[in-house]
Amino acid sequence: MARGSSQSQNTASSTTTRPGVMAPRGSAAATAGMRRRRVTGGAAATSELTTVGSGSSNMLRFYTDDAPGLKISPTVVLVMSFCFIAFVVALHAFGKIYRAKAGAGAGP
Amino acid sequence: MGGGFRVLHLVRPFLSFLPEVQSADRKIPFREKVICTVVSLFIFLVCSQLPLYGIHSTTGADPFYWMRVILASNRGTVMELGITPIVTSGLVMQLLAGSKIIEVDNSVREDRALLNGAQKLLGILIAVGEAVAYVLSGMYGSVSQLGVGNAILIIIQLCFAGIIVICLDELLQKGYGLGSGISLFIATNICENIIWKAFSPTTINSGRGAEFEGAVIAMFHLLITRTDKVRALREAFYRQNLPNVTNLLATVLIFLIVIYFQGFRVVLPVRSKNARGQQGSYPIKLFYTSNMPIILQSALVSNLYFISQLLYRKYSGNFFVNLLGKWKESEYSGGQFIPVGGLAYYVTAPASLADMAANPFHALFYLVFMLSACALFSKTWIEVSGSSAKDVAKQLKEQQMVMPGHRDSNLQKELNRYIPTAAAFGGMCIGALTVLADFMGAIGSGTGILLAVTIIYQYFETFEKERASELGFFGL
Repeated sequence: MARGSSQSQNTASSTTTRPGVMAPRGSAAATAGMRRRRVTGGAAATSELTTVGSGSSNMLRFYTDDAPGLKISPTVVLVMSFCFIAFVVALHAFGKIYRAKAGAGAGP
Repeated sequence: MGGGFRVLHLVRPFLSFLPEVQSADRKIPFREKVICTVVSLFIFLVCSQLPLYGIHSTTGADPFYWMRVILASNRGTVMELGITPIVTSGLVMQLLAGSKIIEVDNSVREDRALLNGAQKLLGILIAVGEAVAYVLSGMYGSVSQLGVGNAILIIIQLCFAGIIVICLDELLQKGYGLGSGISLFIATNICENIIWKAFSPTTINSGRGAEFEGAVIAMFHLLITRTDKVRALREAFYRQNLPNVTNLLATVLIFLIVIYFQGFRVVLPVRSKNARGQQGSYPIKLFYTSNMPIILQSALVSNLYFISQLLYRKYSGNFFVNLLGKWKESEYSGGQFIPVGGLAYYVTAPASLADMAANPFHALFYLVFMLSACALFSKTWIEVSGSSAKDVAKQLKEQQMVMPGHRDSNLQKELNRYIPTAAAFGGMCIGALTVLADFMGAIGSGTGILLAVTIIYQYFETFEKERASELGFFGL
């Protein structure tokens, strides 16, 4: 995600005399960089540069790489969270109903 | 060092059970990223308001009160643990890897995957452990009071919330959202706190009749109801024990100062070796390590508080325990323990200017402690996190970047002139700003505000960059 921005940042700050020639090269580099990251993951250092350079915002980034594991898609994560919220709400609701019933059943 | 390798390899059997968000296989449009971030934030906010099911009571002293700021947790809600599991496991793993206790070769793909897996596994284990500890220690009422079923339900809720936070954080970091989940959640929690303190409509009955908790609302309320407008204004500005307008103004001032300082940087020109004419710049900021020093400092202090409080409750007569910290119940914030003596007292910010004048040694000690701790942590952190001069020089070399007018071998020396200084001095500045915020009585705490501002600024930068890159993509 930092990749595209890194290249564009560099090209933006470049003081080239031939903008027409430079622009496509920059974009090619950007796309190549993006492809490289997925395939090999060897371009991690490149992304480090931009993140460190732009204020060390990578200090609390942990999961940047792919790891083998139970793959889930982002939608699943969001849906799972909502299900969890619904579950807790349902617990509250049932708890209330159950208590009300038990209270009525026991009765004073 | 073979032992270190084995430690990491222990994780492998669990790797296939750990939830793992898929990496994006396409460029996620900016709009989608914003939506994703907002939805995650919404989930977090709902979770931090939703009470846990089955708890009996949450009254009494809260031993984690001091940690809640940096851990984005809310008492008695599903987000009771907040981001504690991730932050703790992350810091532990980074420190272990940085100090070479666990040998990790960052260029080997499998090692990185194992380290990530280990971090996540440790995070989940910490979540489970803390949930069990919370329930068994009777924070929600004793287990016999709760019933075994409810106790198990509480543990399940807390664990699952921990896993969800881990997944959301990973989701945001894998490129589906902006920034990182951790910082987003911390900043949101602090901002929510500030807004609440400014505009809260809750009334509190103090000795002089009902008063509004929110500073701004209280000011208008006082101005309208009181006949003596000057005295009403003075009361609104200087009232104790509830947030007043001075606190609010101090908060705004600190915000502005920090944002002003964020722009301070040394820009080193760099040039690409293979693409002719491509020039870039490598900025070294004054706040090189950003908010890391205060995160580490407050983690240290809150752990000290926690241990000291536990010890004080058990063995309050012991000399060494008293040396570590003496605690007293505060008369304002119901049942909260505040430090009144020992080391814990001296590393706490003075409560007010009057308190400072009465105890100049305390204020001085606090100032020195904050400045030196922040500078020290900042310097350590660049070594641990791999942003020291040596690492940066290596990265620049890998990118085929050189500094015009300097030889390749000189790059590290040149960077070394700036980076350690920037780290130490920047850390000290952050510490000084925190102290300033504390002395001026900014809402929340100095630490909290500094964290919030730096995070928001980082977000602002990411936002701008994303938009710029988006425009670049469409422009070409």
